[in-house]
Amino acid sequence: MNTNKLARKALKALPFYLLVAAIMVFLLFPFYWGFVTSLKTENDVYKFTGNFLIPENPTLSNYQLLFTQKDYFRWFANTFSVSLISTFISTVISVMAGFAIARLRFRGAALAGTLVFVTYLAPRGFLFVPLAQLLRDIGLLGEMSALYLTYPTFLVPFATWLLSGYFTNVPHEPEECAQVDGASRIGAIVRITLPMAMPGILTAGIFAFTASWNELLYSIAFVNGAQNKMLTSGVVGAFTMGDFLVYGPMMAAATMASLPIALLYIFFTDRFVSGITAGATKG
Amino acid sequence: MASARSQDSTPGAFISRLFYRESTLGPILLSPGFIFLAVMMAYPFIYAVFLSFTDKVTGGAPTFNGLENYQKLFSTDLFRKTVVNSVVYTVFALVLKFLGGLGLASVLNRPFVGIRYAKALMLLPWIMPTVFSTMIWQWILAPGFSVANVVLVDKLHLFAEPLPFLRDETLSMASLIGINIWRGLPFFAITFLAAIQGVSTEILEAAKIDGATPWGAFWRVTFPIILPVVIVVILISTIGTLGDFDLPYLLTRGGPNNSTTLFSLTAFTLTFNSGLIGIGAAVTMTMFPLLIVLIVSSLIMVRRRQQG
Repeated sequence: MNTNKLARKALKALPFYLLVAAIMVFLLFPFYWGFVTSLKTENDVYKFTGNFLIPENPTLSNYQLLFTQKDYFRWFANTFSVSLISTFISTVISVMAGFAIARLRFRGAALAGTLVFVTYLAPRGFLFVPLAQLLRDIGLLGEMSALYLTYPTFLVPFATWLLSGYFTNVPHEPEECAQVDGASRIGAIVRITLPMAMPGILTAGIFAFTASWNELLYSIAFVNGAQNKMLTSGVVGAFTMGDFLVYGPMMAAATMASLPIALLYIFFTDRFVSGITAGATKG
Repeated sequence: MASARSQDSTPGAFISRLFYRESTLGPILLSPGFIFLAVMMAYPFIYAVFLSFTDKVTGGAPTFNGLENYQKLFSTDLFRKTVVNSVVYTVFALVLKFLGGLGLASVLNRPFVGIRYAKALMLLPWIMPTVFSTMIWQWILAPGFSVANVVLVDKLHLFAEPLPFLRDETLSMASLIGINIWRGLPFFAITFLAAIQGVSTEILEAAKIDGATPWGAFWRVTFPIILPVVIVVILISTIGTLGDFDLPYLLTRGGPNNSTTLFSLTAFTLTFNSGLIGIGAAVTMTMFPLLIVLIVSSLIMVRRRQQG
C-alpha cells in the first residue's frame, strides 16, 4: 500500500522531472559538446555515425597542440595580468566611491549615485570609437596598457553601484563606537567597516575579474600585435585554415580558457548568485 | 589628542579635519572615481559627438561637415538593415527571455530533488565567457554536418536537408536570437525567482482561500508585486542586447549580406575596417536617443523601488 502510494507519487512527478531534465540539457549541452569535441581525434571530430556523444578514441592531442603554440600561453598570461590589475584598480576606486555615496552626507552625494548608475548602464559598444581616438591621442593605442586604462570604464560603475548598495546595509554603530574610543574616522572605516563589508567587496572583485576575462570588443579594437592579445581576441582568429575552422583544437582552447572562470564559479557560487540578484547583467 | 584635532591650525591638523568632516571626506573619497569616469566616459562621449560631425578618417585630420555623416548614413542600406536587425534581435530576445524566465522561475519555485545543483549548473551559460561558448555554438550550428543538423535531419527526421544556420539570412538572425536567449535565460530566471520568493505567503494564502487557481493567483497576486523587478530586468537587458557586439561579431561577423549586424558591429566595421571614424561615431550616436530613454526609465524604476 505504502510503496504503491510512493510509486504513484513518483509517476505523477515524472513529467515535471522530464521537463527539468530537458531544460538542463538545453542549457548545458553546448559545454558538454565543446568538451567532448576537444577530446576527439581529428577524424572523429567530423564523424557523426555511432555514438558520437562519447569520444571513441579519447585523446589529449588537441590540448598538446595548444602547448606547441607559444602565443596561446602568452595570451593566458596577458589575460591574467590585465584582469588582475584592472580588477584591483577598479575595486579600490569603487570601495572609496561606494562608501562615500552610501554613508557620507555631502553635497552631490545623490547626484554621484545617479551618475554611477547611468555610466553602469551605458553599453560597451557605445563609446569605443572615441576611446580609440583618445588612446591614439595619448599614444597608448595598440599597447596592452590601453586595456588597463579602459577596462575600469565598465568595472568601476558596476562595482561602485554594487558596493554602495552593500555599504548601505552594513551597520553604522561599530564604526561610531570605534571613533568614541579614540580611533580616527579613516581608521574606523578601514579597521571596522571594511572587514564587515568584505563579502560585498569580494563579490565586486569576482565580478570585475570575470568581466575582464570575458571582454572582447576593447581587446580587439585597442590592441595590436599577436603578442599583446587577450585570450578572447587571440583565440577568435587563431583556429582557421583559410576558410575552414579547425574545431578540435578550437574546442580545446575554448575549454582551457573558460576553466579559470569555471573554477572561480565553483568556489564562489554564492557570491555570483548574490551579485546577479543585485543586478549584474550583460544582456 | 582630541582637543588638538579641533583647536590646532597646523597643516597636519588641517588634513586630519579634511578626512574627518563628511562634507570634505565624501568628495575626497569620490574624486578618484569621478575624475576617472569624467576623463574616460564623459570626455569620450563629447569627443564622439564632435567626431560624428566631422569627416575624420584614419590618419586624417577632422574637418567639420555638419550633418553630412548622418544624412549619408540614413540613405544607406547598411544602416537601414542595422536598425531593423537591432529591433528584431532586441524584441524577440527580450520577449522570449521574459516568458522563458518566468516559466523557468516557476519551475524552480517548486522544490525537487537536486534543485541546489540544478540552480548552480543552470547559471553556467550566463557565467561562462560568451566568446568561448559562442565558439561552441558556431561548431554546433556549423554548415553541412554539425550536431544540430545530425539531430534534426538524421535522428528526428524533421528536415530533409541540413539547415544552413549561419549561411541563410533569416536562420542566422534566428540563431543569434536563440544564443542570446540561451545565455540570458538563467539571469532572468534567477532574478525573477528571487522576486517571487520575496512575495509574502500570507497574501498567497488569502488568494487561495478566496478561491483563486494557482494560475490566477500568479497573474493577479504574484505578478503585480514582482512587476517592478521584472521591468528593471527587462530595461537593463534591453540596453545590453541593443548594444551587443560580442554575439554578432563572433557568430556571423554581421553576415550574410549584413543580415545580422547591430549598431556596435556596424560602427566597428566602419571605423576599424573602412577607417571612416566620423561615420562610425555617428552610428554609435544614433543609439543615444533610445539609450537615454531606457536609462532614464531604469533610473526612475530603481529609485521608486528603493523608496517603496
